[in-house]
Amino acid sequence: MNALFLAFAHLRWTWARSLVLVLVGALILAVPMVTQTLLRGSEEALTRRAEATPLVLGARGSQLDLVMSAVYFSEDRAQPITRAAEDAVWDSGLALPIPLHTAFQTNGARIVGTSLDYFDFRGLELATGRQIALLGEAVLGAQVAERLGLGPGDSVVSAPENLFDLDGVYPLELQITGVLAATGTPDDEAVFTDVKTAWVIAGIGHGHDDVVTADADGNVTASAAITEFQRITPDNIDSFHFHGAAEDYPLSAVLVVPNDIRSGTILRGRYLDPENPVQIAVPAEIVAGLVDRIFRIATLLDAVTLIIGVAAVAAMGLTLYLSWTLRAPEMATARRLGAGRFVILRLAAAEIAILLSAVIAIAACFVVAVIANGDGIVAWLLAV
Amino acid sequence: MLKRIVLTAALAASAAGAQDRPVVAAVNYPLAWMAEQLGGDAVEVLFPVPEGQDPSFWRPGLSEIAAIQQAEVIALNGAGFAAWTTRTTLPRSRLIDTSAAFSDSYIATQSITHSHGADGEHSHEGTASYTWLDFNQAAQQARALAAMMEQRIPALRDTVTAALPDLVAELEALHAEAGTALAGLQGRTILATHPRYQYFARAYGLEIAAMEWEAGAMPTAAQWQDLEAKKQDTGARILIWEAEPPADALDMASDMGLRSLVFSPLAGRPQTGDFLAIMRHQIAALGDPG
Repeated sequence: MNALFLAFAHLRWTWARSLVLVLVGALILAVPMVTQTLLRGSEEALTRRAEATPLVLGARGSQLDLVMSAVYFSEDRAQPITRAAEDAVWDSGLALPIPLHTAFQTNGARIVGTSLDYFDFRGLELATGRQIALLGEAVLGAQVAERLGLGPGDSVVSAPENLFDLDGVYPLELQITGVLAATGTPDDEAVFTDVKTAWVIAGIGHGHDDVVTADADGNVTASAAITEFQRITPDNIDSFHFHGAAEDYPLSAVLVVPNDIRSGTILRGRYLDPENPVQIAVPAEIVAGLVDRIFRIATLLDAVTLIIGVAAVAAMGLTLYLSWTLRAPEMATARRLGAGRFVILRLAAAEIAILLSAVIAIAACFVVAVIANGDGIVAWLLAV
Repeated sequence: MLKRIVLTAALAASAAGAQDRPVVAAVNYPLAWMAEQLGGDAVEVLFPVPEGQDPSFWRPGLSEIAAIQQAEVIALNGAGFAAWTTRTTLPRSRLIDTSAAFSDSYIATQSITHSHGADGEHSHEGTASYTWLDFNQAAQQARALAAMMEQRIPALRDTVTAALPDLVAELEALHAEAGTALAGLQGRTILATHPRYQYFARAYGLEIAAMEWEAGAMPTAAQWQDLEAKKQDTGARILIWEAEPPADALDMASDMGLRSLVFSPLAGRPQTGDFLAIMRHQIAALGDPG
């Protein structure tokens, strides 16, 4: 008890040195654990979601970009395909196609234009409010709602695709009708709307005042000054309409849910031709390859961390040793006062024990905090 | 007291039964009628358009949309009928566009051309949407609906499979009857108060010149003048009303030498009778030379 008291008193006296030792020790201990936790969490999240997504249809090119954008709503942007590709899957009768339009963002969250089938497919349930029903409505993922402090009755405004696209895409105000229950997946970080609403943001659909006026002779004149609506309301919703052939409307990707394994195999076979501008990717296979690569890099990182850790521990030991060397006159005085060798050893052990306890406690707090928010951090990491 | 308890129990049982039954939502009465013929008592047919409202232009409220979103099958007519479906979120897995198979045969109507800024000109081309008035097309719509019901409601597969041949046979028989009954009208122009009969005219070789009168309302003086001019131009002797007009309107048409007939396209649910019986009656009346 006395040894602990004296050790603590000394550590407090040399608080700056003690604080540095504790923080360095905590970091050495926590970083590998946090890295492992996040890596395992990412692997599990990636794998779980990929395995729950049978097939993804998209433009030929990087399958990784396609899967990351369609399954995890990441920034990776595959080339768009047309709705005709979705119709082809539907017409095949082999699978259910779920359209995805992920080109736009609002307040840093991805706007996912899709159909109601997506919610059934992912098992998403509403925590508050109601499901989207009309053009211009949206439901928020749990994290987005929490971060923005928004809920049913509020609204968000879509951001233009880029600052220089002033002509094509203009902001559309989306009415929030509900907030989804948290799932610990990228769905928590998304804003969901009908794919038709995404097409309105893209400028393919729009609403405006009466286009034509007829004079007394019945001659019809189109107005040159048409004002397009940027908010869809019950009063103007009937004026919204779409232009061009529906089969040409763009989609970022299509989630394909085959009726059975055989249907999936047949469908995959139809998109093998490299001349076909559309391809089918199997997320589980793509993600398995990605996870393998990540873990090869992680193994290297572990080795680096171990080497740095050993060096840091050695440095800490050296610090303590030098500290005790500097305290030699103090120890000599204690010996002359009658303290035995064992008492001095107890004093040193108590000091190390206190430092280690503090290191473990701080490292544990850090690791627990990361684990507690692991799903959110992983979802955010995957969405970036 | 006992009677009340029994009645309450019966109502509760009925409600529970209705809840258990799969729901087929339809955007117009012909499709609702087909769903009833195909599914019988085993399905609950949801046709939420209130009586007296035109299903082409009706707009559902949020509660109605929520109910439709929950249906196992949502039967669309296609050809631009019920524009609200293009502005509403509906699950594709449960949607069936019953006229998609013959979309190449849609009849285009007038178009309006305009432009938005630098986007260039584009047009809003209309499509005649009362497809079921060609009863062969109606039979194709019934087949499409049946296929979707079989796919989405496996428990009903046998029922639907058994009912489909009879339904198709009835519609094909109606098509044949219409062809025979209306053969005498070929080459003669018929006037109609509303442009609803494009497919009907094409299927049975009729010339139908349509106006844009409000269904069930007394026409204005200008509309009567327009009618007189059309009558003179075409030599028409028959005027088809979409809905029962005021008696005075019938008298005025009669005074102009026009035989008036109410021929409802039956987009909405009739107060009495069903699709087949009413259509048979209307076709017989139209084909009657007297």
